[in-house]
Amino acid sequence: MKQKADVLQGTLALMVLKTLDVLGPLHGYGIARRIEQISGDLLAVNQGTLYPVLLKLEQEGAVASEWGASENHRKARFYRLTRAGRKQLQAETKDWEQTAAIIGRFFEAKPEDLS
Amino acid sequence: MKSLRRFFTRLFNSAARSAQEERLREEIHEHIALQTEENLDAGLSPVEARRQAMLKFGGVEAMKQDYRAERGLLLIENLLGDLRNATRSISRMPGLAAVIIISLAIGIGVNTTIFSWIQLILFQPLPAVTGAANFLLVEPRTEGGGYPGASWLEYRDVQTQVPALRDVVASQMVPFNVGEKGRTERTHGQLVSGNYFSALALKPALGRFFRPEEAERPGTEPVLVISYDYWQTRFRGAPDAVGQTLRVNERDLIVIGVAPKDFQGTLVPLKFELWAPATMAPSLLGGTRDLEDRTLRSFSLIGMLRSGATRQEAQAEFSTAMAQLARNYPDASAGIGGDILPFWSSPRGPQRLLISGLAILQGVMLLLLLAVCGNTANLMLARGSTRQREMAVRVALGAGRWRIASLVLSENMLLALLGTSLGAAIAVWGTTALRVAPIIGAFPLLFPTRVDAFTLAFAMLLGAACGLIFSAAPAVHLARLDVQDGLRSSSNTPPRSRARKVLMGVEVGLAMVVLIAAALFLENFRSARQTDPRFRPEGVLLAAYDLSGRNPNDTSEREFAARLLERLRSLPDVEAAAIATNVPLDLHGIPARPFTVQGRVRTQVGQDRAISNTVTPGYFKVMAIPLVEGNDFADMRDKAAPAQAIVNEEFVRRYLDGADAIGRRLQTRAASFTITGVARNSVYDAFGEAAQPAVYFSYRDRPQDQGEIHLRTRSGNETALASEARAVLRNLDPMLPLYDVRTFSQHIERNLYLRRIPARMFAVLGPLLLGLAAIGIYAVVSYAVARRTREIGVRLAFGATSGRVVLQIIRENLGVIAWGAAIGWLLALVISVHAIPKGGVNLPVFIGVPAILLAVATLACGIPARRASRIDPMAALRHE
Repeated sequence: MKQKADVLQGTLALMVLKTLDVLGPLHGYGIARRIEQISGDLLAVNQGTLYPVLLKLEQEGAVASEWGASENHRKARFYRLTRAGRKQLQAETKDWEQTAAIIGRFFEAKPEDLS
Repeated sequence: MKSLRRFFTRLFNSAARSAQEERLREEIHEHIALQTEENLDAGLSPVEARRQAMLKFGGVEAMKQDYRAERGLLLIENLLGDLRNATRSISRMPGLAAVIIISLAIGIGVNTTIFSWIQLILFQPLPAVTGAANFLLVEPRTEGGGYPGASWLEYRDVQTQVPALRDVVASQMVPFNVGEKGRTERTHGQLVSGNYFSALALKPALGRFFRPEEAERPGTEPVLVISYDYWQTRFRGAPDAVGQTLRVNERDLIVIGVAPKDFQGTLVPLKFELWAPATMAPSLLGGTRDLEDRTLRSFSLIGMLRSGATRQEAQAEFSTAMAQLARNYPDASAGIGGDILPFWSSPRGPQRLLISGLAILQGVMLLLLLAVCGNTANLMLARGSTRQREMAVRVALGAGRWRIASLVLSENMLLALLGTSLGAAIAVWGTTALRVAPIIGAFPLLFPTRVDAFTLAFAMLLGAACGLIFSAAPAVHLARLDVQDGLRSSSNTPPRSRARKVLMGVEVGLAMVVLIAAALFLENFRSARQTDPRFRPEGVLLAAYDLSGRNPNDTSEREFAARLLERLRSLPDVEAAAIATNVPLDLHGIPARPFTVQGRVRTQVGQDRAISNTVTPGYFKVMAIPLVEGNDFADMRDKAAPAQAIVNEEFVRRYLDGADAIGRRLQTRAASFTITGVARNSVYDAFGEAAQPAVYFSYRDRPQDQGEIHLRTRSGNETALASEARAVLRNLDPMLPLYDVRTFSQHIERNLYLRRIPARMFAVLGPLLLGLAAIGIYAVVSYAVARRTREIGVRLAFGATSGRVVLQIIRENLGVIAWGAAIGWLLALVISVHAIPKGGVNLPVFIGVPAILLAVATLACGIPARRASRIDPMAALRHE
């Protein structure tokens, strides 16, 4: 059996922020679907774990939420990115890219480069 | 910022819990509905579509838990929950809780009260002065190790020559006679240096303090600062008190200010009411030469360390300065060095006497508190065992070990908190009770003890420590509980708890130590009351006069005493009258003087010393101390007789090997005397003291400016003499008040005052502790017996008599108790031998206390055992 990727809360939060940035306001289910679609089945998380993350982001002021109607006219809670959230996303994107770049360089490094 | 914002949202969420729960429930519901719809579109059956949606969402409860943890402050919520729980479970055991809270409260209250005294002496030696602990005593020291005080000129030198001390202030204790001729009132005050109030950083409650120029030249400005209490009592707190004139020692002084509340001068615990500039000394003290003469060492100095300087530096500089002075002024300062001392090691006053006694008392009381903790731990353990089921269920439902422990802890901490609060209240009451205790005397004493923030912190610390101590055992016990066992067992498998028995033993041991200490204190106090002082205090009136405001000389002093005695003796009710400089059993003690005596070969280095008292002829008659040999002193007006001394029997035994003393010469630093009599030994400093050598000098040879009048009444009612004595003195000198009038019995009561406090404490606490120990033992045994109902039933069914069962239970428990008691007894023995080296072992106490304790323990074991043995064996077995 394939080992499922263990998603850290921090990365999940970043994915949520990015999703809301790209697609605009979404309800919880919508966010979960997008993350699933983009990551493919590589990242199969329990959708339920999303809600504590959303709450944390809301308490930090990165997202705001209100009740609204979904596509098929059901009542649903919509989350949208706030200005603070956008700033946080930019900062964290930069951090992430830096980290990724550093790690990338390590992986490309050959013994002769380090001698 | 972000985390702060989050904290407040969470705090808010903790409060508004249900609305949030509702929101989450709806969101989950919607989420699953949407997923189910999608699954239906994908062609799954309705049932399967919903099942898949649920699976994908994952564990709802676990998620909810995460969500809750994220949402509110789990720690605080748990804590509040624990507290609610604790309140509930405490209110379910009112009796037990009351015993625990009250015993803790008493333990903490007593400890806090004692601590408030210790902290007063150690940390706040000067009430109303902030940073008083930074002040040090600056004391010139003689070769003999005495502290004679400093002269004014010496003070001026020290002020400039010890740079490590920022401010050095000088003060002199003086008696003031306040009021008009014939209606004077004796009040105590201090003559102080000009920088006195500014160095102590005091703010006047009214008016102002001395200006520098007012304390510059002798007799310039007749100004006076009065104490807050004096302002309140004499001027009823009137704001126009400043500017009024007070007649002090026949001089008019203008009141310029009122000292702050609680300030009582710089010789605590003495309480002063008036302060005048030291430069007023000549005019207030009848032309004294205090300000010019380096041999008149009448001032006490205190100084504050400059920031960054150490006591060692100050000490070194002071020693250098004193050495310099000794070279410059050999007449006045030869051989005089100096010490910089912290307040608590003050060579004067009762501080020194108190601090060691208080330390012992505090130690014993801490042991008492520890015994209370042991008792409480035991009670909680016994109770905790009945809750094994409850705890096992909690663990089975997923409570962690730490949660269980914190549950027990919060319950006990709540008990400790309640006990501490009540204890603090007791301490507040106790310190005020001690404060108002009347210590009247030649000098008004006031120990300004109080429960302040520091003392309260001490109480809280004690309470928290107690809570932890008596939580530890039950918490560990319950947290280690085997769930399976706990759930399965009803009340019949007896898990024998060693912890309980050990605790019981420890408690009994501690109780033994404290009880023996209490008994020794009480015994000591009781025997003090009953010892024969070897003089007869009944029927003697004491009263003091003081001529020091008159700048008298030897002749005038002698003449005054002679005339006073003549007139007093002519009173019809007076059987005998005498004057002495010291009264035995005084709180301040009687000074001992070095001397050499003819025919004495000294084998050890150091000086011979003897208690010394200067008395008029007739003293031995008033005191009813028989003269074993020789005669009383020569008459006051006899100019022919040589200087005389009378020694006591112990003096003869110790210094003359019992040889004939009469006619020998005795040499003191100042003069030479002929021994003319030997008096019987009597008590001088304390009841129960070992015999002390004493020398009496005659008032005729060494006239003094102060005197204690001793009057023996003919009628037996000595208090009636007071007004007559007053009238006699007024006739002789209308400005001179008679002060400190008291019967000799009152004088003795005052001396016992400091001993009476601990004695009373112990008289109450001893029985209380005994009761607590009994409750503790009773609880443990009755619990253990209840757990063994079945076993006892089986025994009875097999024919054991109930007497045998009772005996066996008692024997089992008494074994542990006896061990604890034996260890405690040994400990107490070791302590008592160390603390009272010469006292020997007080057998009645060391036998009586264990007997009582063991009897009580047996009773406490016997009652539950007896109850158990009465059970019907059939009922016990069916109980299964």
